Amino acid sequence: MKIVGIAACTAGIAHTYMAREKLMRAAEKLGHTARIETQGTIGIENELTAQEIAEADVVILAVDVKVSGEGRFKGKTVVRVGTAAAIKNPLELLVKIEKAINANQ
Amino acid sequence: MKGGAGNIKKNILTAISYMIPLVVAAGLCMALGQVVDSDVRNSSAGLGYYLYKAGGYGMNLVVPVITAGVAYAVSDKPGIAPGLIVGFVCTEIKAGFIGGIVGGFLVGYLVLAVRKYVKLPKSMQGLMPVMVIPVIVTALSCVLMYTIVGIPFVWLQEALTGWITNLQTGSKIVFGAVLGVMACFDFGGPVNKTMSTFVNGLMIDGVIGPESIKFAGSMIPPFGIAIACLIARNKFTRAEKEALKAAVPMGFCMITEGVIPIAARDLVRVVFSCCCGSAVAGALCMIWGTGSPIPHGGMLTVPLFDKPLMFCIALAIGSVITGVILAVLKKPVTEEDEAYDDMGADVLGMSSGDGLDFVIEKH
Repeated sequence: MKIVGIAACTAGIAHTYMAREKLMRAAEKLGHTARIETQGTIGIENELTAQEIAEADVVILAVDVKVSGEGRFKGKTVVRVGTAAAIKNPLELLVKIEKAINANQ
Repeated sequence: MKGGAGNIKKNILTAISYMIPLVVAAGLCMALGQVVDSDVRNSSAGLGYYLYKAGGYGMNLVVPVITAGVAYAVSDKPGIAPGLIVGFVCTEIKAGFIGGIVGGFLVGYLVLAVRKYVKLPKSMQGLMPVMVIPVIVTALSCVLMYTIVGIPFVWLQEALTGWITNLQTGSKIVFGAVLGVMACFDFGGPVNKTMSTFVNGLMIDGVIGPESIKFAGSMIPPFGIAIACLIARNKFTRAEKEALKAAVPMGFCMITEGVIPIAARDLVRVVFSCCCGSAVAGALCMIWGTGSPIPHGGMLTVPLFDKPLMFCIALAIGSVITGVILAVLKKPVTEEDEAYDDMGADVLGMSSGDGLDFVIEKH
């Protein structure tokens, strides 16, 4: 799967980046590609490009707060979780998401 | 996302995420002002005065920013302007933080209602965002806040302040211990922020004791874990010792999050020992009557406390208790631990429940 996503937490300094890192490493282990944007207190980093979004099979929003730019994902399949799930067990999360998406199609 | 129904927690957390840098900036400016000019409350010029004054304005903005933040999370951009105004109303009538949060929902849902039910001819659509929504929502929600919605929160805030100032020793110990546990429990996560929001509200009303417990509970995890590491070096992995080098200076400035990577491998023992130390320190702060007039800043702010020395003693006792308990409880590191890869480990829940529940939406 090609995954894009956003990570954002309340304080915007720790969990945001942990979620990003975990999702990317888990994706790599499972043979997916993942690009995760962060919206921490510092602002947007690693911003997703229009092309990356267009090519993605799924958008994963690992967010605890309102994020900006959700309008970019029109027409996409968007999965919404908290940062906790992405940090706690990213491998199982991605496996479950993949299953759910395949079942949906 | 449309609206915000069913997302109460997310909306409040969004507001808190906007509040955190504000509180830190305002709190530290006030602290610096007092450092520069010890009689800053009676000054009318000079560097200390400027900083203290600016910080004070920042503190007055806290409730408005919370209200606007909730309103923004519920109803997007149109919520911000009315939210700021209603937040000031909440401050003025002393409805406190809780009133401010409720005010934010009031504004947010009114914005959504106006967008849904007020229909203008196409030629006048431009008036919606710049005039119709801001004016109707601000007028309605401010009047409601003053007359009906705000009143119970004013009572609540008054009752709360009265209750805390009149606590007896036994209740003080329990109250201080509970606040101490809440402050450290999730290392800067939502439980900590709930506690923080609560004590900041009290501080604005002049009850500054609980605020000092927040300081203790936020700094004990990094200090206590560092003490444990000094006592029992063989019980921490190389990566954890490395992480501590960042976590201790962060802790000094009252940022607890640095310990999360260390807590992650051994969650129950670390949280348990931190909570023990913080509970004791919290109880001591209440009994000894320490207080902080400033919401953030860590050790830099301590000289400005009521009874700074007693606070330092409470902090030290709490840190040592945490350190000793953790040093005893922790298991020596094995080869397996050194290779520990936390891809499926427990980390304290940040917000959205502990399961792996997710929602799939077609956008």
